[in-house]
Amino acid sequence: METRPYFVIGDLLATTAVGALAGLVTALLIPVGWNMMVAMLVGMALGMIVSLPGSFAFMPFFGAMEIMVPTMLAGMFAGMWIAMAAAMNPMSAGDGAGYGAAIGVGCFFVTYALNAWFRRGHRAPSAPEGAN
Amino acid sequence: MDLATKAKWDKAAPNFDLMSGYGPEKRWEPYKRAFFSQMGDGKILFLAVGTGLDIPFFPPGKHIVGIDISDKMLEKAQPRVEAYQGDLETRHMDVHHLDYPDGHFDQVFTSCTFCSVPQPIEGLKALRRVLAPGGELHMFEHTGSKVFPLSLMMTFMTQLSKRVGPEMNRDTVSNVEAAGFTSIRVEPVYLDVVKTIHAMAPPNA
Repeated sequence: METRPYFVIGDLLATTAVGALAGLVTALLIPVGWNMMVAMLVGMALGMIVSLPGSFAFMPFFGAMEIMVPTMLAGMFAGMWIAMAAAMNPMSAGDGAGYGAAIGVGCFFVTYALNAWFRRGHRAPSAPEGAN
Repeated sequence: MDLATKAKWDKAAPNFDLMSGYGPEKRWEPYKRAFFSQMGDGKILFLAVGTGLDIPFFPPGKHIVGIDISDKMLEKAQPRVEAYQGDLETRHMDVHHLDYPDGHFDQVFTSCTFCSVPQPIEGLKALRRVLAPGGELHMFEHTGSKVFPLSLMMTFMTQLSKRVGPEMNRDTVSNVEAAGFTSIRVEPVYLDVVKTIHAMAPPNA
């Protein structure tokens, strides 16, 4: 599991920001009254599309797949859940961003837990001196 | 030579280090140092050099031939090639058309390469051909995931990413097996997405 503070903070920042962005865009674009299933599918696609440029903004600083995978996950789930909520009741862009950010934080913890499970029994090589 | 692939990576060369030069390399540095520490004293083929971001992780004093399909990438790599404390020769070459006799190398190393090789099984068979019987293949690769919904996401991403660079949903471990390598060992680096794959050319090939 990643333990270097620079990367842990970067991962958290990226998933939170991309979740918030996906939530904001979804809340703005999905109107009340849509069929829930249609809203969920459109929200999922929207979230994934939004998360691509979002992840590209963080990748040069914090990593490739370690940023792309959790941010895509955050975008996808934020898009799905906020689209369903927005289809049922009016939702402000701010609320969408807030809920999206919370989903992003959740995705951060889920991917860290999943990574720890995949790497069980495998010791991480030690970082060289002076590495972040 | 596969000109479409060459053109894609030639186009990516000027800005490649901007995207990959700091974050990904810093992140993977401990893993890559451990990975390349397996370089032995025999003849080594390294595929693909790119802009040479991996070269600082090579142990000194090795005998390495590095190839890449993009001459623009190799031009960018030149300062890192010259800084290497050992014998490192670079050549402009396509993995599908390796200009080396059978069994020429003792080890082959790849790093984030087989996400982009157009015909991965054929490429791996070409590597097996130039490896001595019992020679080692060591790969540091990102692949598709077998975990839902990561698998769905990576298939979606591939539709976009393959236009400018790599494919995200390759099953490289199965490709290594299909190419005839034996003693395959896989170690995870990140989820089931980034991994090292270690295999051997059959001893009696």
